[in-house]
Amino acid sequence: MNQNLFSLAWREAVRSAYWGKSLATTIGLGFLSIYFSVSFLVLGFAIPELLIKNFPNIDPISKFNSIILAYFAIDLIIRQLMQKLPTVSFKPLLLQNIRRRKIANYLLTRSVFNFFNVLPFFLVLPITFTLVASTHSGLATLSWFLAIGILIFCNHFLAIYLKWRFNEAEYGFFIFLAGLACLFAINHFGIIDLSGGLGKLLDLVLVYPALVLLIAVLPLLFYYLNVQFLLSRMFLNLVSEKQKAETVRDYTWLNRMGETGRFIALELRLIWRNKRPRSLAMMTVLMFGYGLLIYRGEPGKELPEFVFILGGVLLVGMFSISYGQFFPAWHSNYFSMLMCQRLKMKQFLKSFYMLVTVVSVACYFITLPYALMHTKVIYTHLAMLLYNLGVNIPIIFFIGLYSKKRLDLNQSSVMNYQGVGASQWLAGLPMMLGPICLFYLFKLAFGTVGGYIGLGAMGLTGILFHSVIIDYFSRQYLKKKHELIKNYKNS
Amino acid sequence: MIQIQNLIKAYNKEIVLNIPELTIEKGEIFGLVGNNGAGKTTMFNIVLDLITASKGQVISKGINVRESEDWKDFTGAFIDETFLIGYLTAEEYFGFIAGLRRLSKTDTSTFLEGFSDFFNGEIIGKKKFIRDFSKGNQKKVGIVAALMGKPEVVVLDEPFANLDPSSQYKLRKLIKDFAAQNGSTFLISDHTLENIADVSTRLIILEKGKIVRDVPKTATTLQEVEAFFKPVVEADIY
Repeated sequence: MNQNLFSLAWREAVRSAYWGKSLATTIGLGFLSIYFSVSFLVLGFAIPELLIKNFPNIDPISKFNSIILAYFAIDLIIRQLMQKLPTVSFKPLLLQNIRRRKIANYLLTRSVFNFFNVLPFFLVLPITFTLVASTHSGLATLSWFLAIGILIFCNHFLAIYLKWRFNEAEYGFFIFLAGLACLFAINHFGIIDLSGGLGKLLDLVLVYPALVLLIAVLPLLFYYLNVQFLLSRMFLNLVSEKQKAETVRDYTWLNRMGETGRFIALELRLIWRNKRPRSLAMMTVLMFGYGLLIYRGEPGKELPEFVFILGGVLLVGMFSISYGQFFPAWHSNYFSMLMCQRLKMKQFLKSFYMLVTVVSVACYFITLPYALMHTKVIYTHLAMLLYNLGVNIPIIFFIGLYSKKRLDLNQSSVMNYQGVGASQWLAGLPMMLGPICLFYLFKLAFGTVGGYIGLGAMGLTGILFHSVIIDYFSRQYLKKKHELIKNYKNS
Repeated sequence: MIQIQNLIKAYNKEIVLNIPELTIEKGEIFGLVGNNGAGKTTMFNIVLDLITASKGQVISKGINVRESEDWKDFTGAFIDETFLIGYLTAEEYFGFIAGLRRLSKTDTSTFLEGFSDFFNGEIIGKKKFIRDFSKGNQKKVGIVAALMGKPEVVVLDEPFANLDPSSQYKLRKLIKDFAAQNGSTFLISDHTLENIADVSTRLIILEKGKIVRDVPKTATTLQEVEAFFKPVVEADIY
């Protein structure tokens, strides 16, 4: 039975029109995973020596045990952002002779085969052999290793459980972050030594190997929670549950701006009323705080230039990159309707351009206070704002020409996990790395300030010629419209 | 009004639509029937330039739909629910389409009032997004939106499907009245022979992409069409 379900998942992946594109994503993700695997392996061999060097008076194993909680906390956050949820279109399966519990178990089993569960072992295996095995008996080493492994899977099931929850209520993620921050504070200020507590427990495992069985209760508990959650969601009525009156916001004031305003109103409604674009928009807001992290640096030390470029991209251009990477697929559900209307492709592109411009300029002013930390932010962000509007948007238009996958906005958020994995971040990579490379090229030729001027000038050129660019792309989109319609229909 | 010339649509050398010559006159309610896969939706999609024909052309009011977009000025269409914007309320959707068709606000509300009987109080004034509507109500929204701006050509693919019985009767009358008042040309397909025979002024049967019957409506049209689709084996039983 499970084999059947697995072959269904395989066919779903292979037969979608998205396959070709997702192959590129897969290769990109593949490189990233190799990179991280190697890094973790190197780290795994280096950690024992580092521990002995930095904490000569403490047993390195128990030191490692006492800091491992921090790793799990970070792992949990990364998993929230990156890990994919296992999905299955369960509707056709419900009527078949398959127990709901079987579907739930299948989903959870499939979720275990995940890179995030493999990665930590690259770190743990070398440590087990070099550090633990040399000083402890075989049984103790094995049980320690098992305990760590169990905790990894415990984190896995906790992560997907939380992710399922956050998918239904987005504010949950912020509560989660706040909760972690509280735990961090409790630990940091020594109110309760959480990290040390886990460390002691792991120390005890080395002495009494049977304690592993106790730890094994945790993942079972989270697994059970997951099963309960899935069982409670596998009903059709929950898919169309939202029968309550919607809060309908008025955007008619935008109509005064004519055709373009009407489309901007449509985009705003799209963002506000659909889960996926909404969470992308929220991400933009979260990014404002990210500057505190990357611009902090050490006093007296100059930050490397690429930090400012990256900061500019993320703080000013986050919205255009994350929202733009799916242009025009946001409108894929009713794309053929739009193509039957008396609308000029030009207006369609222009309204997107306007929206992104307004948001980016707003982002520029909101993030301007970072100039208090580094005065140069005033002009580095300005250069990135220009670059973003002048260069990145044409790139977005260009990528959009080849968009293949339909975004299913119409489904309600329950059991709809399209695009919550790592791959959605990948599309933005060239738009983030591009300016960094260009900057260093310009810097070679004209110096540091010249580098920023170069980026800004490129952007300005793009902005000055924006109507030509929009005209060009509207012609291209008209040429491509049949292909876009076909792709959206087949995915 | 609409001329179809040497139209061929093929997928991987398999011809799914082949219409050498077809002219639809102004004011005609053109009914299209045929079994699944006969090519009805394909034909409509080509008329709306949503898919490209392998050969031949569609001329709508003198405009080749592949070459110019001007046909959009006088054409309204509803093919399936992908023509709706799920995250809008019905009013917002009508407002959006009205804006594209350059209808003023007052024009829009008077226009919509004319359909209050058809809507049956379930569409306007509901704080509900279209994606949460039932299939039938979604269809009503789509059909009425296609009629906005009094287009000269209206394309409706299976407008009667998913509608409840009384709405089907209302829709029949609605289409006939609309065509009489505005002189619009309708292209309609459906599987319910009774509906399509009642509403249309000319009936065409498509089979495997080819036109096999083309009859103006008379009193016996329905029987004729029914006879065509009835399995022959039935006669052998008696």
